[in-house]
Amino acid sequence: MPSIFQIILKSIKFYKKQIFYQVFIIVLLCAVITGSLLTGKSVKESLKKSASDHLGNTDILISSGIRYFDPELVKRLKDSTDLKCTGVLEINGFSQSMNSQKKAFNTHIFGVSSDFFAFQGFDTFSVKPGEVAINKKLADYLGIKPGEDLIIRFPRISAIPADAPFAPTIDGGNSIVLKVGIILEPSHIGNFSLSISQITPMNIFMNLSDIDDSHGGSNKINRLLINNKNANSLKSASESLKHYLEISDIGLKLRNIEKTGEIELTSDRIFIDGSILKEITSLIPESAPVLTYLGNRFVDGRKYNPYSFVSALPSSLYPGICTGNGMIINSWMANDLSAKVGDTIKMFWYSPDSLNKLIEKNSPFIIRSIVEMKGIWSDSLLMPDFPGISGKESCSDWDAGVPIKMSEIRAKDEDYWNRYRGTPKAFISYEKGNELLGNNFGPATSLRYPAGLSRTEIENRLNGSLNPEKMGFIMSDLSDESIKAANESVDFGSLFLSLGFFLILASFVLLSFATSSYFDLKRKSVKTLFSLGFKNSRIAKLLLLEAGVISLAGCSIGAFLGYLADILITRALNTVWTGAVQTNTLYSYFDLKSIIFGFVLTFLTILVFMFLKVRIYLKELNPKKKKGYVSHSTRLNLFLLITSAVVTISLFVLSMVFSDQQILFSFSSGTLLLLTLVLLWRQYFIRRITRGSDRMHNRNELSRLYYSFNPSNAVTPILFIAAGIFTVVITGANRMNNNDKQLRRSGGTGGYLLWCENTIPVKQDLNTESGRKTMGLDDNQLSELHFVQIKKTSGNDASCLNLNHITAPPLLGIDPEDFIAKKSFSFSKMLSSKEIKNPWQYLNLEPQNNIIYGIADQTVLEWGLKLKTGDTLVLKAENGRPLHIIIAGGLQTSVFQGNVLIGKENFTKYYPSVSGSQVLLVDGNRALIDLYQNVLNDRLENYSVNIEKTADRLASFHEVTNTYLSVFGVFGALGMIIGVAGLGFVLLRNYNQRKQEFAIMLAAGFRMKGIRRMILSEQVLILIAGVTSGLVSALLATSSSIKNSPDIPWFVIGLMVAAILITGLIALSLSVRSITKNSLITILKTE
Amino acid sequence: MLSIKEISKSFTQRGLVLDNLCLEVNERETIAIMGPSGSGKTTLMNIIGLLDKPDSGTISFRGSSITDFTEEQSADYRNHNVGFVFQDHLLIPYLTVSENVFLPLLATEHSQEEIALKEQNSKSLMEKTGIYNLRDKYPFNISGGEAQRVALVRALVNNPSILLADEPTGSLDAKNAENMGSLLLEMNRDYGITIIMATHSFDLAKKMSKILRLEEGKLNILNEQ
Repeated sequence: MPSIFQIILKSIKFYKKQIFYQVFIIVLLCAVITGSLLTGKSVKESLKKSASDHLGNTDILISSGIRYFDPELVKRLKDSTDLKCTGVLEINGFSQSMNSQKKAFNTHIFGVSSDFFAFQGFDTFSVKPGEVAINKKLADYLGIKPGEDLIIRFPRISAIPADAPFAPTIDGGNSIVLKVGIILEPSHIGNFSLSISQITPMNIFMNLSDIDDSHGGSNKINRLLINNKNANSLKSASESLKHYLEISDIGLKLRNIEKTGEIELTSDRIFIDGSILKEITSLIPESAPVLTYLGNRFVDGRKYNPYSFVSALPSSLYPGICTGNGMIINSWMANDLSAKVGDTIKMFWYSPDSLNKLIEKNSPFIIRSIVEMKGIWSDSLLMPDFPGISGKESCSDWDAGVPIKMSEIRAKDEDYWNRYRGTPKAFISYEKGNELLGNNFGPATSLRYPAGLSRTEIENRLNGSLNPEKMGFIMSDLSDESIKAANESVDFGSLFLSLGFFLILASFVLLSFATSSYFDLKRKSVKTLFSLGFKNSRIAKLLLLEAGVISLAGCSIGAFLGYLADILITRALNTVWTGAVQTNTLYSYFDLKSIIFGFVLTFLTILVFMFLKVRIYLKELNPKKKKGYVSHSTRLNLFLLITSAVVTISLFVLSMVFSDQQILFSFSSGTLLLLTLVLLWRQYFIRRITRGSDRMHNRNELSRLYYSFNPSNAVTPILFIAAGIFTVVITGANRMNNNDKQLRRSGGTGGYLLWCENTIPVKQDLNTESGRKTMGLDDNQLSELHFVQIKKTSGNDASCLNLNHITAPPLLGIDPEDFIAKKSFSFSKMLSSKEIKNPWQYLNLEPQNNIIYGIADQTVLEWGLKLKTGDTLVLKAENGRPLHIIIAGGLQTSVFQGNVLIGKENFTKYYPSVSGSQVLLVDGNRALIDLYQNVLNDRLENYSVNIEKTADRLASFHEVTNTYLSVFGVFGALGMIIGVAGLGFVLLRNYNQRKQEFAIMLAAGFRMKGIRRMILSEQVLILIAGVTSGLVSALLATSSSIKNSPDIPWFVIGLMVAAILITGLIALSLSVRSITKNSLITILKTE
Repeated sequence: MLSIKEISKSFTQRGLVLDNLCLEVNERETIAIMGPSGSGKTTLMNIIGLLDKPDSGTISFRGSSITDFTEEQSADYRNHNVGFVFQDHLLIPYLTVSENVFLPLLATEHSQEEIALKEQNSKSLMEKTGIYNLRDKYPFNISGGEAQRVALVRALVNNPSILLADEPTGSLDAKNAENMGSLLLEMNRDYGITIIMATHSFDLAKKMSKILRLEEGKLNILNEQ
């Protein structure tokens, strides 16, 4: 007796042709699913590899952010610990080939010391002074070769924040010409990067000695790289840093004050940051802050004394200092002003406002005492070491960083300078001084220690004890973070499963057709089993076991073919679909886990599918079920058809009338047209033919009569094809593009014309007359020009161009008033609040416990940052403190993509060292856009500006979405082609179901050719009906896009439709060919 | 009228079915072919109707050889000269009785006059066979006997010379079988149609002018009136 398994194997052997179809479809299905999963894995692994290639031997990064530190710290760590480390100066700049004149914006410049390449494992490489090493990408981009000259421009390196009061004026940046020494291949750390991004950077490696400190100091660095990969590496690195960190490393120095016998601690940033001051005070409670400031005028009645220093002194060291608005002046000033005790003196000074713009303030003081210029009151060292003032021979040489009216400086003022230098003439309490003169850059210009405390003791108490984080250092396990960012990156596995949805659906449809055809063939065998007393469950088990064997075979092959699919997809992503990944460095990764998962997932899905299919099949076979032909109601169909047609026309009219809702209305009318056309076809098929006689006049009527009883056999394939074509065409036509809507105020450009990013900060206010004049933008033609000047911190690009999960995006400091006034940009989501209706207003809210509000593009929030409105993004402020940014709104795709927007005042508060503006958003007369671009390119050339039209910038973001749409389109078309190939099965099924009719027709003298032609023409009609219905509806649905977009890929869409039609015709022709006369004669036999 | 000479036919699985078989059929003759299941009766009927071809031997119709007819010629031959009735009525379920009857008219082109004539004949045939009142009904709404009568009228719509009936009463009850037999003879008598019928029913066979037995691939005369 044969076993069940033997019966199954025999059945498979007997029906091998039909089984082959099923196996083939399952192979395809499993290959698509496994391929998608493997692609997801490949992208993740490629990102990890890319991160590893970019980092080289860097495991831990200690960064001082936008501040600098002394390379001595690296030397000390190297000499004293077993840490393998090196220091670099990382800056963004601009480069240009002297020969080709080609420019590269956003060049990553690394100032490296002699040990950098050794640290990365390349002992033989080095960058000599006067030379640079560049990576291959930059070399290719600029078309530059070794030995040729490269112009490099980058911001000036200065410890003093450019916007700080009394910082010397620095216009423009550094510009130097160096020779290209070597071109570094990616394998030779050429693509070194500390950013988390898969995009290959354009790198320049310079000798650190070629990057001058603006004030002649020693070369500073801002990144410390550590190669130490073990479980505790970050903790131990942090401990080592703390242990070996000295005050000199962060620009703090001690000096003896001879006049008082005290020791003073000053900073090369002029102002000592609040958090540093707090940390030092916690270590040495005797620390007493002093704040010395330049007053513009001291006015007593009609007399005034110009440009004199005032010191705010601590009462702990200066017990005689008065409180409140009391002021002590020295005898020189008293004589100059003829002032006496009790007089009121008005002090004027420049103070940075919340945006670090210097504004003149004043405050009245009452003279409490007049002191002789001796002892503690003649201390010239109270004046900080202002680089533009200290050491100058005369006042007229001052570069004070604030406007100085030289005409007001008298001979006696010069004489005072010559004799007493910056000795303050006025003294107020530290508390009052801090209240009036303290600013974003710090509350003190020095810390003083009482005479009893020795320099050595201070050093001993501070060195090795300062908390690096409070000193502005940010420590990160970059290696781990990169891997984490890659692991949490855009999930291409799910993405490709969604993009391949149509392909998967089509495979299931095809499998359904193939299985139904197969079951039709087995009908007799199954009926025999019934008649032999087999129960339904037993037959179902048999059929399911058979399906299991078939699926097993298909999935086994398909799972491994999935790897082939992965190779193809990865190759496509590196080439034709590179817009989605912005890199060509992806590689296909063989991951057994994904293969097994793909196999199991497909296998189980098919088993469930087969279980349902078998149940339906056995239900239909149930002899108790009455078979009969049911005629369908044409009235109901006609009613639905007319209703649908009326609504379609109404929506179309609405789309013509309401241009602002055109997309919605035209899409809805197109979708309904699809339904209308399908109903129209149904009406055509179910309507009985009315004629004057009993007989049919042609063979087509015969087909029509068949479908009038079986409309679903025609309407279902029409619906499937039409819906598929509809999807493919609208996907192609609805590519994101910069239509008029995007250029409007409410669109992604905000109505602005140009987006400028400059490497060297622009300090002038370009909306003022003086700012325009300075920059040469005061032509009449440019009168309509308006700028939104934006500050920017560096960070990891969080736009859709970066696949990684980003936790530290760049911040843009924005004054939203212009956007509010012009109603620029639109929000997808926003925080709900009764008080605040416009999300932009959140940006103006003052910080509460280091909590501020931010805004980002919704796509950035969802994909790059994985946050939603109301969530908090925690970043490090310039001084190392955590800054909590609550997301107040998600913008519709805009030019800001990749960044997080915060209020400009808050930006200035938390990142005071970022001076000027790095981004300009330009508004004006759209007709003059090209003129604006040319003029700005010319006038801002020294700022290494990269200017792009906002529409173009938006288009670059749309490229990613458009590539996804292309992938979806291709997969959709492929799915359609496969689905349409299934029409062959539909044809064979219809044929099998109607075999008797065709047999009797043959007996009645019909020719076989005629019968075949009849079957074929029915299916061709279905194919054409589906394609035209889908096409016409899709064209209506996308009519608004078609009108507004010149770049709809008509050729590709046409090609896809043609491919679908041709595949359908081929499948039908092949299937009809397989219909033989013998198969019909068999039906007639009764023996 | 029909001359079959030394035809043989074999199938891969069944082996030799017809072995140098010979048969002469005269105009208006009624022949019953009997024999056990699998003896080749249907094969012989299919060969006569040119639905199948013999491996060897010749077939002539009214003096002309039809053995090597192309598929198109065979279809024309069937359409104009042969009518088929099967055990299963093989009516098309989505066509009404009259549409089923007129189906063979669609097989080839006919002139308006021809169609009118054939329609008239068919109507009288339908009346004669008692199915005229059923003309607008669907096959699933009529009985088995009625369906078989419809199949008979359909077979005769083109005024064929030969009616090939393969077990025409096989699925009918005794009464309906009796009626069917009478109807076939009536057609022979009234329209001069030659009838070749394969049957297991001796009662039906007895009504034919000649009874042949097909055994081991050859025909033997059992009875001749």
